Amino acid sequence: MTTTKRETGGVFNRRAVLLSGVAFGGLGAVALRIAQLQATDLFSGEWSDRAEENRFDRRVITPPRGVLYDRFGVELATTRRDLRVSIIPEDVDDLEATIGAIAQILELDANWVRRRVREARNGKPYDPLLLRQGLEWDQFAIINARLPELKGVIAEDTETRSYPHSLVFAHPIGYVAKPTQREIDRVLAEGPEGERRAIYLRNPDVRLGKAGIEKALEDVLHGEAGWRLVKVDANGRPVGEDSASLNPPKPGAGIVLTLDADLQKRAMEALGEEAGSAIVMDIYTGDILVMASAPGFDPNLFVNGIGQRDFDALNLSERHPLYHKSVTGTYAPGSTFKMMVGIAARRAGMPEDWAVSCPGYFPFGGRNFHCWRRGGHGRVDMHAAIKGSCDVFFYRAALYAGAERIAQVAREFGFGQRYDLGLPVRDGAYLDSMKQGIVPDPAWWRSIGRGQWTDGLTVNFGIGQGDLQVTPIQLAVMTARLAANGRAVVPRLIREGPGVSDPPAFPLIPGLDPAHLAQVRTGMYGVSNEGGGTALSASNLGLVRHPETRRILPLTPETARYEPVRIAGKTGTAQVRALTAATRGRHYSTIEWKYRDHGLFVCFGPWDEPRYACAVVVEHGGAGSGVAGPIAKVIMHDTILKDPARLQPRTLAQLQAQSAGAPA
Amino acid sequence: MTAMLASARGPRTGVIGKLRRLNWWIITSLTVLALIGVAMHTSVSSGDATALKPLTHGLRYAALLFIAIAVALFVPPRSWYLIAYPLYATTMLLLIGVELVGETRMGATRWLAVGPVSLQPSEIMKVAIVLALARYYEDLKPGRAVTLLWSIPALFLIGAPVALVMHQPDLGTATLIAMAGLAVMFLAGLRWRYIIVAMGVAAASAVGAYYFALHDYQRARINVFLGLADDPLGEGYHVLQSKIAIGSAGLTGAGWRQGSQSQGDFLPEKDTDFIFTMIVEEFGFLGGFVVVAIFAFLLWKAVEVATRARTMFGALASAGVAATLSCYVLINTAMVTGLVPVVGIPLPLISYGGTAMVTIMAGFAIVLSIDLHRDQTGARGILW
Repeated sequence: MTTTKRETGGVFNRRAVLLSGVAFGGLGAVALRIAQLQATDLFSGEWSDRAEENRFDRRVITPPRGVLYDRFGVELATTRRDLRVSIIPEDVDDLEATIGAIAQILELDANWVRRRVREARNGKPYDPLLLRQGLEWDQFAIINARLPELKGVIAEDTETRSYPHSLVFAHPIGYVAKPTQREIDRVLAEGPEGERRAIYLRNPDVRLGKAGIEKALEDVLHGEAGWRLVKVDANGRPVGEDSASLNPPKPGAGIVLTLDADLQKRAMEALGEEAGSAIVMDIYTGDILVMASAPGFDPNLFVNGIGQRDFDALNLSERHPLYHKSVTGTYAPGSTFKMMVGIAARRAGMPEDWAVSCPGYFPFGGRNFHCWRRGGHGRVDMHAAIKGSCDVFFYRAALYAGAERIAQVAREFGFGQRYDLGLPVRDGAYLDSMKQGIVPDPAWWRSIGRGQWTDGLTVNFGIGQGDLQVTPIQLAVMTARLAANGRAVVPRLIREGPGVSDPPAFPLIPGLDPAHLAQVRTGMYGVSNEGGGTALSASNLGLVRHPETRRILPLTPETARYEPVRIAGKTGTAQVRALTAATRGRHYSTIEWKYRDHGLFVCFGPWDEPRYACAVVVEHGGAGSGVAGPIAKVIMHDTILKDPARLQPRTLAQLQAQSAGAPA
Repeated sequence: MTAMLASARGPRTGVIGKLRRLNWWIITSLTVLALIGVAMHTSVSSGDATALKPLTHGLRYAALLFIAIAVALFVPPRSWYLIAYPLYATTMLLLIGVELVGETRMGATRWLAVGPVSLQPSEIMKVAIVLALARYYEDLKPGRAVTLLWSIPALFLIGAPVALVMHQPDLGTATLIAMAGLAVMFLAGLRWRYIIVAMGVAAASAVGAYYFALHDYQRARINVFLGLADDPLGEGYHVLQSKIAIGSAGLTGAGWRQGSQSQGDFLPEKDTDFIFTMIVEEFGFLGGFVVVAIFAFLLWKAVEVATRARTMFGALASAGVAATLSCYVLINTAMVTGLVPVVGIPLPLISYGGTAMVTIMAGFAIVLSIDLHRDQTGARGILW
């Protein structure tokens, strides 16, 4: 006996209908679920948004960096077209063959091919690998033409930061480079905002300022990144672009500097192979026309990553090409400091005709303080002492003035302080951070735990030696303040840029007696124009002033009858080793370079209507009159002849209108 | 007697007559679904003119349909009844064989290599379990099917293969075998009180299984589904992408070959388990609804065959195939819409791949055969 359908058919049919109902219900639920998902999307857009997120990749567009101009609109740092070739390793069938073919076009050796193949194997297969940039146009064209056979190769026409004057402006402008891992780690530590920033920094096109103005004004110059949506597949491979969704980047702001490209170039040439610094300032406005440090280096090397060998060559050189000596180099000012001592002594009550007898040494405190001139100067007053740079006079003048008063005058003339030039000030960077220098006085001496100040220190202070440390820019400021009849000139490097306003009229240094100032100024005139002056070699600039038009003209037979243009100056020698009998009087060239004294020269001119102040420091250049003086003379000649202060500078608005009008 | 009937009914006998009496509603539904599959595989392969998937899919269906019709015409229910137990026993042996010498692919041991052919015995079991249970209940004395005692052998028939398949591990197939078997038991008339108790036990053992019997990856899927784990790029990625594609499709979809999520490869497994998502993305709510409706129609037609069948075997076998189909479709569509955890079950006749299509076509060959031969009095004497 078996069951028949008829006997149980009723139950079966009922249950079959029930079960079918459950199945239909389930299918209905699926349909409702679809409707529900889509209804959610209608109200919140949730799924559509995520679909778009999936589909589109937000690609960062790095902003064009702000252009740096000199005062007359010469581009000092700009954005240059860069032709490059990259590969996406994943898309390349045969890495050796493909990279080899490119090497052939670019005329590169097998070594290069091997290195690139290894990089391609080690990197992420779908990340583009930059093979070479800075391609010549014809190389780029050949690669472009052969793209169909070179699978996985990308030829890109992009932009990169460029410094057209190479080493001439390397120090004030600095350079950009790829963010370092440390910089990325630092922003990563800043939380979620930092993470977004880190992603941006990892973009291969992003560059950050690493030194100079590029670093200090990074925020202004960088601009704001834009983005575009690129249609991608799930592997992130672009399959198209949505031109409607372009959010263009905001370019960085341009900046006009106070520098004069011609004069800066001239200064770098004049410094030549020397290590040192030259600065020229406009004493009316404080504009820094020249801010040269030598030796220079090519900032373009850093933009796309400098090689270790190149970096070592720069970093380990004893002439320190990477140092921005104008603001980071500290030197004893030597005799260039004597004007300060003279003013301080006069302020202490020293009579105008006070004179001393110089036998070539000054016995004090049980030892002899030597004068640079072995036989001495004989009887000298202040005018003669500045002119002949008599050390003995200023040993005694310093004792007359007292250390505190000398320090005070030094500070009034701009020593011992930093200036806001738009250059990096601290932040731990040792290569480009502006130094404050040291103006010693008894209080400072105690504060660093060296006990009681002694008169012996004051004597040394009198000739700008000892602990006194000044930077070339401070020397330039001192000279400018002397030239501007005691107005507290403040230097500036940025003429026009965000947050920069016109310089105020500089106030007179309070408490400065014009008679005291006049005395040291005429002393400086004597240095380069009177018999016995230490820098007579710098006297003849070869320039004359036309008596009616007041224009400066080169000295020619026709103009020889006009009044020559004169400058006032002061030599200085900063001891690297204490002045000893062994080195005294020896010609500097017979001493090993790194033990030679630093040579300094400060000057201003034209004497009849001062406008420009100049300071030159030549490291290990021997006495100031030897090397520094002639360099200053060359620079002053060109500066006074060009007279940039009288030429109309270009404004940022003009420059931007001009670049907008120019073909791209 | 057969000959007399044949002459009396005239055109209702003979191959032509039989062809005319085949259930063409079912055949048409199957064919429409397979053609939808061809269309979707063409879309999957868009941009690749040399892709063979759509052609393979279509030819595979055509061949299977031809075989299924031939089987329906020439293999009567009586034969299915006779081979039910031997088929079940052989499949069990094969499953044990898989345990011992099975081939492991992607971490699961499901395949058995027989010469050049690899075969998944767990797939054969989906049909075999239905036939074996149908025969078991056919053979029972009246009234016994409703009792607990006589349900125990049926439970063993289901439990043994389910346990083996679970161990492979293949949760999806095990679920399908169990649900098809339990559906047959339910239809055979088991008393409600036992069913209710059994459902309680099932719920309890599901919890138990979660902690003890499931593999880590299976547990991970369930965790993500339950919202216990957040893992958008791991186990939850498939469903998230599926929901994105379905949610953003709208009423009529992006259009054939225009679905951005499917075409952009964001949707994984779009030609197999997640093909329903692609249908909805490209044809919208309406497209999804039409596909679900065709499956519902097919299900209705299969249940109709079951209710018309004169024998318990025929009724239960047809209903069992209908249940298997329903489980496939329900689990797949519920999975891709995020209603149930991810279980690797394709959408029959549409998803690419031969296995599920063979299983479903084999099942419908039996349904067609039962329907075709429902009035064949000659079968009576043999069947009981």
